[in-house]
Amino acid sequence: MDTLVAQYSRPAYQQNEVFSEQEQQDLADGVPSLSLKFAMPPVAHPSAWLRAATDDRSNPTCPIKIAHGTTTLAFRFDHGIIVATDSRATAGNWIASQTVKKVIEINSDLLGTMAGGAADCQYWLAWLGMQCRLHELRHKRRISVAAASKILANLVYQYKGMGLSMGTMCAGVTEEEGAALYYIDSDGTRLQGNLFCVGSGQTFAYGVLDAEYRQDLTVEEALELGSRSILAATHRDAYSGGFINLYHVKKEGWVKHGFTDTNPVFWKTKLEKGEFSNVTSDFSGRA
Amino acid sequence: MSKGLWAPRQPPSAWCWNLAWQAGHARAFRLKLQVRVASGQPELPPKQASWTELAKSINNHHPIFPHAFNATMEVLLGITGKDFTLIAASKAAMRGVTILKASDDKTRQLNKHTLMAFNGEAGDTVQFAEYIQANAQLYSMRNDTDLSPSALANFVRGELASSLRSRKPYNVNLLLGGVDPITHKPSLYWLDYLAALAPVPYAAHGYAQYYCLSILDKHHHPDITLVQGMKLLNLCTDELKRRLPIDFKGMIVKAVTKDGIVDMEIDNDKVVKCA
Amino acid sequence: MASGYDRALSVFSPDGHVFQVEYAGEAVKRGTCAVGVKGSDIVVLGCEKRSAMKLQDTRITPSKIGLLDTHVCLAFAGLNADARILVDKARLEAQSHRLNLEDPATIEYITKYVAGVQQRYTQSGGVRPFGLSTLIVGFDKGSQVPRLYQTEPSGIYSAWKANAIGRSSKTVREFLERNYKEDMDREATVRLAIKSLLEVVQTGAKNIEIAIMAPGKTIEMLAVEDIEAHVKNIEQEKQEEAAKKKTGRTPGTGSAAILTRTQES
Repeated sequence: MDTLVAQYSRPAYQQNEVFSEQEQQDLADGVPSLSLKFAMPPVAHPSAWLRAATDDRSNPTCPIKIAHGTTTLAFRFDHGIIVATDSRATAGNWIASQTVKKVIEINSDLLGTMAGGAADCQYWLAWLGMQCRLHELRHKRRISVAAASKILANLVYQYKGMGLSMGTMCAGVTEEEGAALYYIDSDGTRLQGNLFCVGSGQTFAYGVLDAEYRQDLTVEEALELGSRSILAATHRDAYSGGFINLYHVKKEGWVKHGFTDTNPVFWKTKLEKGEFSNVTSDFSGRA
Repeated sequence: MSKGLWAPRQPPSAWCWNLAWQAGHARAFRLKLQVRVASGQPELPPKQASWTELAKSINNHHPIFPHAFNATMEVLLGITGKDFTLIAASKAAMRGVTILKASDDKTRQLNKHTLMAFNGEAGDTVQFAEYIQANAQLYSMRNDTDLSPSALANFVRGELASSLRSRKPYNVNLLLGGVDPITHKPSLYWLDYLAALAPVPYAAHGYAQYYCLSILDKHHHPDITLVQGMKLLNLCTDELKRRLPIDFKGMIVKAVTKDGIVDMEIDNDKVVKCA
Repeated sequence: MASGYDRALSVFSPDGHVFQVEYAGEAVKRGTCAVGVKGSDIVVLGCEKRSAMKLQDTRITPSKIGLLDTHVCLAFAGLNADARILVDKARLEAQSHRLNLEDPATIEYITKYVAGVQQRYTQSGGVRPFGLSTLIVGFDKGSQVPRLYQTEPSGIYSAWKANAIGRSSKTVREFLERNYKEDMDREATVRLAIKSLLEVVQTGAKNIEIAIMAPGKTIEMLAVEDIEAHVKNIEQEKQEEAAKKKTGRTPGTGSAAILTRTQES
């Protein structure tokens, strides 16, 4: 009893309160713990479990069909960066949506694209947006694209092998870097470059884009090339389609250039320019 | 160096998040600790036996590691000479059937006299190399001296060895070349993802080994000059262009000398025809 | 002192003081003096070297000026041993910043980090505050703008054009306030830093250290001979000035500079 009384009769400052390491860290750590308390499936090997549950190629009756299949592209040129995507989401061979926004507006001058798992991309790019804003508030200036992309790359690298599936690009124009474009995927790869295509339709988009890409394209030419490359991919890749989502990133921030149905664009391209000659619109002529 | 920077994938332990890592990394450690099996037991690391199995499967291009194939297609070359070490790395960054970038730099400078080239599993390579780079630079900053190439090579080997026995090992192969800052002696170290370390006069990684080592065996001499070294390197890259079934998009070549590290010119546009 | 409020770190006294932190400020005042001066295109750190024992090897005794990263430089006043720990933490953070964000940290970021560490040690149990004030200087990556910050034991940080910390810092700061000019070139900046230190350093060039930071470059320690030349030049000028004043109309007011010095010793 005496000890109990003594404990409370002593002035507070004499009770040398000792924090645990963890408590001290929590106290001292200025950064709030945000959303990284991301729950894993309660199994031994989340990645193996996820593969078993979601891989519809080896197991067509798998319980979860992840939205996959995409064409996204972005390229740097003299007047900034063009970002273009399709808008189809597929789960297995089912078209889950034709109106997906695969360009994620991280902030008013940073864009991210999504390919791979739709949920993964949406969640982590939104999270990246938050990190970028916090960086801005802490450092009183816009985050560089290099730093933003590295934050994302480090993050996905933490989760390497746990089943994340993302292929994304970060595009932005900043004072110190100029126009900057980065490719980040869930392997943890992060590359700086002039031109990237990502997704199941990437090869088709590369084909059109590489052939006519130049640094000194005009803005109109660049927008047309981006849009035409996506069109090419939507035409040949079963997992790409829907609408062409087109953006131009400039010094002043990004500008949206429409969310255009591929169908009329395709027929316009075919009928006015004579391209896609393998597709016939002449139903009477052939035997 | 043990209390230096921490790799993002150090095994979780109580003091990990005491160190100055970006918030995200510390959080992820915590997160890993939260992973539990259904019985409430923490996840156990894989048995060593299964890891050797995994190593075997990588060598056999196991479908789980589709990118292991790339690693063997990525060319790394190193040649020492009288007063220099040459390091060369192919410029292609490959993913699946696509070359994502044709000007990739697979080297990192560790300090004024040491350069490291790397290939292997996507993601692991750069993460590991930059982790080593940061620690080497931290050492230089703290002690006002650079670590010697041999000290660095042994440090890297140690990191690889402990990583190998962790839950998720780095899958990285390395060449580490440098010139001793005091004796000015050039040196080259060959390391693989199983944490083998060998000091060598010349070295290669990936399929390039099969072509280049014989060439180097025949033509290399420890007393060659930098010009002769470049000639030798060209002999190797020409053969690779001739015989490797993929286009590795040319090489980035850097020379380490007592005065530091310099980029070397190499004619990547030269067309080499098969006989 | 009987009140006991100066014994526990994490307890306020009834009138709002945290005494341990204030005592840390006293430790700073006992430290040798350091100054920082911004010029138009460089920034200079100068400090008074502790007077060495006869057998001490000054050549390899650690300096009060240290690099945190290739582009950031720090000078401190206060407890040497505490500084080592703080500098080490800052160096680690600088490399972590490079590793995580690719670009080198800005000077303000490093300052904020150093001040943050100092603050942390004023608010948790079982620790002692850093008995340190620091001056942190350098140039951000790709920037031509010189930066100079000060941190204090409490964790306060502030930006300056020119400032002094440590013993007699008030005198030096007042000297700087009187003599600072905008847009000084390299020579003028270095000269002002040395001149201000001479206000409190008795033994001249041997006990002065000068570090210069320039955009895109790492630290440059000024050679002893160069400092000596500056010191000689400054002394000569002072003598001439004194002589001029003596021959002038108002004799008797010429010894102002010497007066301030005697106040400090």
